Parts: sequence; structure tokens; C-alpha cells
Amino acid sequence: MFVRMIAKAFLRQWKKMLMIAFTIALGASLATAMLSVMMDVEDKMNQELKAYGANITVVPKSASVISDLYDVGDENVSGTYLQEDELGKIKTIFWAFNIVDYTPFISTEVTLDSGDVEQVTGTWFNHHMDLPTGETLDAGIASLRSWWTITEGDWLDEQGSHSGDYAMVGTLLAQKEQISVGDKIHVTGSETEKELEVVGIFDAGGDEDELIYVPVDTAQELGGLDGKIDSIEVSALTTPDNELAQKAARDPSSLSVSQYETWYCTAYVSSICYQIEEVITDSVASAVRQVADSEGQILNKTKLLMILITILSMIGAALGICNLVTASVMERSQEIGLMKAIGAHNPAITGLVLTEVMCTAVIGGVAGFYAGIGFAQIIGHSVFDASISIRPMVVPVVGVLVALVTLIGSIPAIRMLLNLRPTEVLHGR
Amino acid sequence: MSLLELKNVSKIYGSLHALDHVSLKVEKGEWLAIMGPSGSGKSTMMNIIGALDKATEGEILLDGVDIAKKNAKALTDIRRDKIGLIFQQFHLVSYLTAVENVMLAQYYHSVPDEKEALEALDRVGLADRAHHYPSQLSGGEQQRVCVARALINYPEIILADEPTGNLDEANEEIVVELFRKLHMDGTTLVVVTHNPEVAEVAQRTIVLRNGRVDHETINENFTGKIKHITLQ
Amino acid sequence: MKKRKMYIRMITASLLRRRSRMIIALLAISIGAMILSGLVTIYYDVPRQMGAQFRSYGANMILVSEGDAITQQQVDETRQQIPADKLVGIAAYRYQTVRINDRPVMAAAADMEQVRKTSPFWLVDGEWPANEGEIMVGKNLAEIYNLKVGKRTTCTFAPESETEAENGETEEVVPDNWIDFTVTGILDTGGKEEDYAYMLLSDMEKLTGIPTEYDVCELSVSGSSQELSAIADRIADNVEGIQARLVKRVTESEDTVLSKLQSLVLLVTVVVLALTMICVATTMTAVVAERRKEIGLRKALGASNGSIIAEFMGEGVVLGAFGGLLGSLLGFLFAQAVSRNVFNSSITLMPWLVPVTILASVLVTGIACLIPIRSATQVDPALVLKGE
Repeated sequence: MFVRMIAKAFLRQWKKMLMIAFTIALGASLATAMLSVMMDVEDKMNQELKAYGANITVVPKSASVISDLYDVGDENVSGTYLQEDELGKIKTIFWAFNIVDYTPFISTEVTLDSGDVEQVTGTWFNHHMDLPTGETLDAGIASLRSWWTITEGDWLDEQGSHSGDYAMVGTLLAQKEQISVGDKIHVTGSETEKELEVVGIFDAGGDEDELIYVPVDTAQELGGLDGKIDSIEVSALTTPDNELAQKAARDPSSLSVSQYETWYCTAYVSSICYQIEEVITDSVASAVRQVADSEGQILNKTKLLMILITILSMIGAALGICNLVTASVMERSQEIGLMKAIGAHNPAITGLVLTEVMCTAVIGGVAGFYAGIGFAQIIGHSVFDASISIRPMVVPVVGVLVALVTLIGSIPAIRMLLNLRPTEVLHGR
Repeated sequence: MSLLELKNVSKIYGSLHALDHVSLKVEKGEWLAIMGPSGSGKSTMMNIIGALDKATEGEILLDGVDIAKKNAKALTDIRRDKIGLIFQQFHLVSYLTAVENVMLAQYYHSVPDEKEALEALDRVGLADRAHHYPSQLSGGEQQRVCVARALINYPEIILADEPTGNLDEANEEIVVELFRKLHMDGTTLVVVTHNPEVAEVAQRTIVLRNGRVDHETINENFTGKIKHITLQ
Repeated sequence: MKKRKMYIRMITASLLRRRSRMIIALLAISIGAMILSGLVTIYYDVPRQMGAQFRSYGANMILVSEGDAITQQQVDETRQQIPADKLVGIAAYRYQTVRINDRPVMAAAADMEQVRKTSPFWLVDGEWPANEGEIMVGKNLAEIYNLKVGKRTTCTFAPESETEAENGETEEVVPDNWIDFTVTGILDTGGKEEDYAYMLLSDMEKLTGIPTEYDVCELSVSGSSQELSAIADRIADNVEGIQARLVKRVTESEDTVLSKLQSLVLLVTVVVLALTMICVATTMTAVVAERRKEIGLRKALGASNGSIIAEFMGEGVVLGAFGGLLGSLLGFLFAQAVSRNVFNSSITLMPWLVPVTILASVLVTGIACLIPIRSATQVDPALVLKGE
């Protein structure tokens, strides 16, 4: 009989039930979308913040001690380098997945035909790597220097047409030396001399405007520095620092075993630095505070902002559902009055109403969940050009939320129904 | 000319003939009762006369005007101007006081006038309950408010659908007494009921069966006073 | 005249005496209005507030002198060219090679208060130098010279140019200036600053004996790159001998990230608003649908569809207006709370948002009510009155 009554209620009042289900679906979709976006926003904004370039620099151990303010210029004096063949190892660390980009640098001095001594920097432009994990990665300054504007020509395409002796030149140097795209510049390094064809002139808005950028091999040949590199810039997705990370950054050995575990297994910039130092021989990896700190700050703020907006919309959704459930249950006071009159006990009535509402909530909640995923994807694609990954966490959270809200929404209505006096209801209110 | 005349009126719901070629005349000032078992078409007839519903076929002349072919808007105007309705379930607006419920009818008709509305309530003996809400009134009192509401605009005809259906004997008597007074004042009354006591008071009773007029009785010794049948 | 009075009487009666239902409706509308006004306020305030956060990336504009050095006067004039609320900090640096333990070290002097503003990402272990005789050294420098917080070190400066000093002869003739410093802090930035020593301008003056002139001046200004280039142009035009350059890395990236963030908030706002408004509409629909019987009764009494719609819409509009007003208040409080919690600053009130919110809630409520009212008026009153 119970089932029959509920089935009847659905059949007879399908319009009303549909509306409740629809509202619950709206609320659930709102909660799903907002929760998904909120949980993913850190990752997505992190990717966007990569526009600021590398947040970790790796230099040889001794070089980090010998300051570049000496401006000695003669690289051979210091004599310490990182090994080029170790570069691939950066993608093997614990947090390899978080390393989105990195590029080596090797500098050497050359003499131009005009007699000026200029610095040539070898680097990756869009270096292609096949990783042992089967993934591929295109790394290099094309993405790490997103703020460069190419005033003339194009980016040097390492993989395609420009492998070999090609170069990109900074605007200031190009002006000084009257270099334009297509020119061949003759440079004399400490070991060899080369003809470099200029493929692009860039404006970096900084010191780099006075440099010549060439592929790593070319720079190494010019300076006789086979297999050697000066520094590596790494762009990694990181978790904003907290107290533990700051303590660890000062001295990892001061941590207790469990703290160490936590720290090592969290993508703090300091733990990634530490892991890079483990794989690159004689290296010192340090966070570029300007990027790493600000990133943390902005990420934290964005996340907090999204959390609060999410809370607001959840409150809205919850109150909306509560409201409608109350309104539609109250509407049935006459029917309930009749049931009481023919001898239904309060628990029976409560059970009936709750079962009805909960059935509706399940239907609405499931529909809303999928709609919410859709909304989240719309947001993801139009803002970040990427899908929002749906965390499994969202499912129980939305489920519990919908159930709770529907239950709470039914409470005032049920209380009202229970206090009804059948006579009042049946006699024209 | 009769005030109301039905000529071959039918109302068909799908395959059900709720009214089947019914003809009827109601004279001005007449007090007519319509009786019949459940499903005989009483309420359908009431709705059609009351311009609440449209007939499927036939002519309905009210004051010489055929209302059968009128559109919904025109029917609304007819209800407003010529008809006073009384329902079994009273149908009072729950959040308006008794006098406000009466004024509601004035409001749609012409201009609300609280004094006049209070007078109407006085006529039904509810002057002291005028500012109570329907929930604070007994069933009989509620129905008397409905009567006051129905007569406030001096309608040509007052239609009552089971007016005593929800009332006890004492209240029934009060309502019938009100009808008698209305009749004395010259109001045309059509009362749908299946209570023989209420039907008997009327001047004429028609009995519907299966959508047709089964038979008609004229009350020879009409007094307008209710005679209680004592049940053995 | 009388008729209008009755109209008002009916509406107020309906609003006041059907309290529980009306509270439900009012609540629904207020929530909608609160979300509307709260989110729109946040949306408009995000660039401003987030812009301030992005200033943690440090200087986004650099002054370079067309001559040899920047004077204090030029710095002050530049300061006047920038609106006070846009200027986060302006730090002028003076660089000089000094000697610590007889080895050359680059020393920088600046107003430390301003440096803290333009370079908020500097991590100082210890204290910033605040008094004369205090020095902050870069991490690398500290390692080389084994400097720790609280240790003392002596900086010397040869008034003659370096080359001459190294000849060895003049060294005897002109005595070096020297100051005994206490190390108050070790600087960690991950950049070249770790190789420098930082001291107060007055110490630098004392040490070198040369009055203050700056080599470079860093500015941190909030604004989009367009606003910034306008400011840079203004500085170039109005301050003699100065060129202002934007630090592209900071300005361009800020534009990219901030625009993403704003479009995120925009889209979220749109989605949340759309869903909330529908939610409000369904609640209103439910509240009105409950009154089908009453509508039927009014029709039976001879009310035209027009007057029924007018009455119910009148209620809807009153509810919408009150809900909107209440909601915009709550929304402002919410936005304020968000701003306090996230950005530690209060929000600017946008007075125009109040009428807009009220209008929007009136519209949504109106439309939401219209649907069930219309459907109720379409049905024959006889059917409605019968129930079911």
C-alpha cells in the first residue's frame, strides 16, 4: 500500500514532483559545478601563472656561491657546470608530473665582425623530449618566456626548419648591430667560428634584449663546452608554502620523519627543489621567490575566493531547495489532513512525505550532478581552454548535501503538517 | 419571457453525456430546486447556468441573450453582472475578513463599498462577525458570508450548488430561511441539492437522471418554510 | 479611487496574513537578490583586489635616467605623476661597490620601507635594517663571508676609483672610509639580490662621502598594462631626464592571468545567477500555483483575467522589491565578508547595484508568477473550484 501510495503520488502529481526534482537538479548542478571548479581552480590557475616563467633555478653548487656580481665574464675561470646528459632526470623525480617546463642555459662570449664582444646563450626553444614514462614534452623558452614579443621574424623552431646554426637576437642588440631577420651574422667564439642565420628578433623588456639566443649545441661548440650547461630554469606546479614548507626550506634535516614524509610528498617548491638537487649532480636548486611566493599568494587568494563563492551558491541552492520543498509540502495540507482524519499516525505521514521527497531528490540529484559536470566543463573550456577534472570527492559531497538539504527543507513543512488539526483542514480552512 | 431558458442543452465529456438535450425554463422571481443522484448532471447544469462552463451544444438564454456561444471573457462579464454563486465548499479567500470577502465581489463588479457590504452581512445576521477570518467562523457562518457575497451585487439570479451540503440542521435552517427572504424580495433562486428537505421548500423541483430531466414536481402548498422529516 | 484602496487592501492582506508562505517567497527572492548583488560586486571588485595581490610580483615599472643618475627631486616628481591609490611603492636604489674583508661586494642602499612594498617577495631571515649601522646581506654573500644575523662586519670604501686603488700606491695616501655594521638580516630571493648587501641611504652617504643619487628606481603600480603605459608616458613627458619602462615580464603576465581570473568569476557568476534565478522562479511558481483555487474563485465572482493578473502581479512586484532590497543588503554584506577574508580590505559600495538588483528581482518574480497565474486563468473556473 505504501509503495502504491507513493507511486500514485508521483503519477498524479507528476507536474509538481517534476518541479521539485527540477529545482533539486538545479541546486545539485550548481553545487557540482561550483565544487568541481573550486577544487580544480588551483591547478588551472597554476597553469595560467606559468606565464610568469620559471619558479625554480638550478645552478652548479660552486657557482651559486661565486656571485655573478663579480661580472668576471670569463666562464672558464669558475669551471663548474651542470651536465647536459642529466637534464632528462628532472622528469624522473617524485613530482615529475608537476614539472611543466624547463630549459637549460649555456652562455659563452663571441666576437662579432664589428669587433664587439657579445654574449651568446644556448638554450632550448621548443625542445622535444620522449620521456621514459611514454609521455612527450615540448620544453623551452618559447613557453617559458611567454612575455617576449617577436618584433620581427619568428620563434626559432628547433624541431623543424631551424636545427643548426640559427639564432634569435634581442631588439637592443639588433638595433646596435643593425641586424635584421635573414641576416647571417659571423661570430667567433673561443673554440670555433660560425655563421648564424637570424630567424627572429624579440623584445623582452629587460636585460635579455642585449643577448643572442642559439640552440644549446651551437653555443657549446662556439665555447668548446661540450655537454656542459650553466643553469636550468624549471617551471613547476607547486602548492603554496605553509609553515612546514618554510621550515623545510631552511633545513630539511630539521624535520621529523613524518614531517619529512609530508613535506617530500607535497608539491612545495622547496621539496621540488630538494628533489631536483637529488638527481642533478652538484647542483643547487632554489626557488625564484618573486615567482614562487607570488604564485602561492595568488593561488591562495583565488582558491579562497572560489571557496566563498561556492559557499554562497551552495547556501543559495540549499535555501532554494528547502523553500520549494516546504512550499510544495504545505500545499498538500488538505490531503494530509484527510489522511490524519482516517487514522494515519504521524510517523506514517512523515514516512510517506519523506519517501516521496527523497525519491524526487534522488532523481533530481542525479540529473543535476550530470548537468553540473556540464556546467563545470563549460566554465573550464571557456576560461581555461581545458577540461575541469571532476574529483571523485564531489559525488559524496553533493549527495550528502542534497539529502541533507532536502531533509532539512522538509522539516518545517512536516512539523506544520503534524500540527495540523484534521477538522480545520477539511472544513474549508 | 422567461429569465432563463435552456433549449436542448448537451454537455459531452468524451463519450460521457453529462447533459443530454435538456430543456428548462426559469421564470423571474421563481425558486427552483434541482435534484438527482450523484452523476446525474446536477453540477454540470449548475456550471452551465452559472456561466462557469460552456455547453457542447444547445442554446442558453439568460435575460433573452444567448450565452452559449459567448467567449470566456463575455462569460466572465455575465457572471459578474447577473449571477450570484454559492458553493458547497464556501470558497472564501482565507486571508480576507468576512466583510472583505463580500467587498471582493463588489470590487470586481463595480466599486467596493464597505458600508453596503456590512449591511449585506447584517442581512445574513453576521454584522458582529464582519471582521473575522473564515477560519474563525463556523461552517454556517461561512456559508452565510457566501450568501451575502452572492447577493451584494443584486444579481438577476442566485445559483447555489449544494449550499447546505456541509452544514448541520440548525445552520441548514438558517440558510434556507435566508433563501426564503431573498425569494420574498423577488430574487430568482436556483438551488442544486440532493437533500429532499431543502428541495421541498422550493416552488418547483426538477429531478435529473442520467443527464436528462426525469420528472418535475410543483410544490402546491409553497410556504418557503422548511419541514423536517423525522427519521424513524 | 475606492477601487485602488481595495486593491491595496487585498494585496497587503495577502502579504501580511499569509505570513508563512510569504516568508518563503520573500526568502527565495532575497537569496536570489543576495547572490546577484554579492556576485556582481565581487565580479567588479576582483580586478582591483586581485590587482593588488599581483603586486606581490614586485616592481612593474623601472625609471632610468637619461643622464648619469636619478636625483631625489626626479623621484619626487615621478611620485606626483601617479595617482596615490595606484602607487604601491617606489624604491630608488643606489649601487656602489664596497669591500668586505678586502673583497669587492656590491652594496645597495635604498629606503627600506619602500623596498618592502616594491619587493614583497623578499624573504628576510632576521630583520630589515632600520637604523644606521645595520646591514642586510644576500644569502650567497652570507655564505661566502660566513655572516650570521647579529655578527659584525666592516665595509670599507676607497674614495678613489677602483683601478687606482688597486695600483697599491694611492692606497696609502687616501685613507679608506669604513663603517662597522651589524648584520640584521639574511636575504633570500632566489635571484641576484642574494649577492648584494643592503644598507640605509644615510650609511651609504657616510661610507662613500658622495651625496645621494640613485642608479635605478623601481615602481610598483597597480593597473592594467594599458594604464601602466599611459602612466609611463606621462612620466616621460612631465619629468625631465627620466624614462619609465615597463617590466614586460610582470605587466604582460599579469594581464594574462588577471583576465583569466576575471572571466572565471564572470562565468561562475553567470552560471550561479542563471541557476539561482530559475530556482527563485520555481519557488515563486510553487507559491502561486498553490492559489489556483483562489484564482478560480475570483474568476467565478466575475474577475477578468486582466484584473487577476494585476492583483497577483502586484503582490509579486511588492515581494520582488522587498526581496531585492533585502537581498542587495545581504549581498553587500556577503561581498564585504569575502573581501575582508580574502583580500583584507573592504569593498567599494556600488549604489547603482541596489536599483538593478531590485529591478532584476521584480522581473524574475513577475515572470515566475505570470506562468502559473496565466495557466490558472486559462482553466475553466468550474474545474479549478472542484479541486484537482
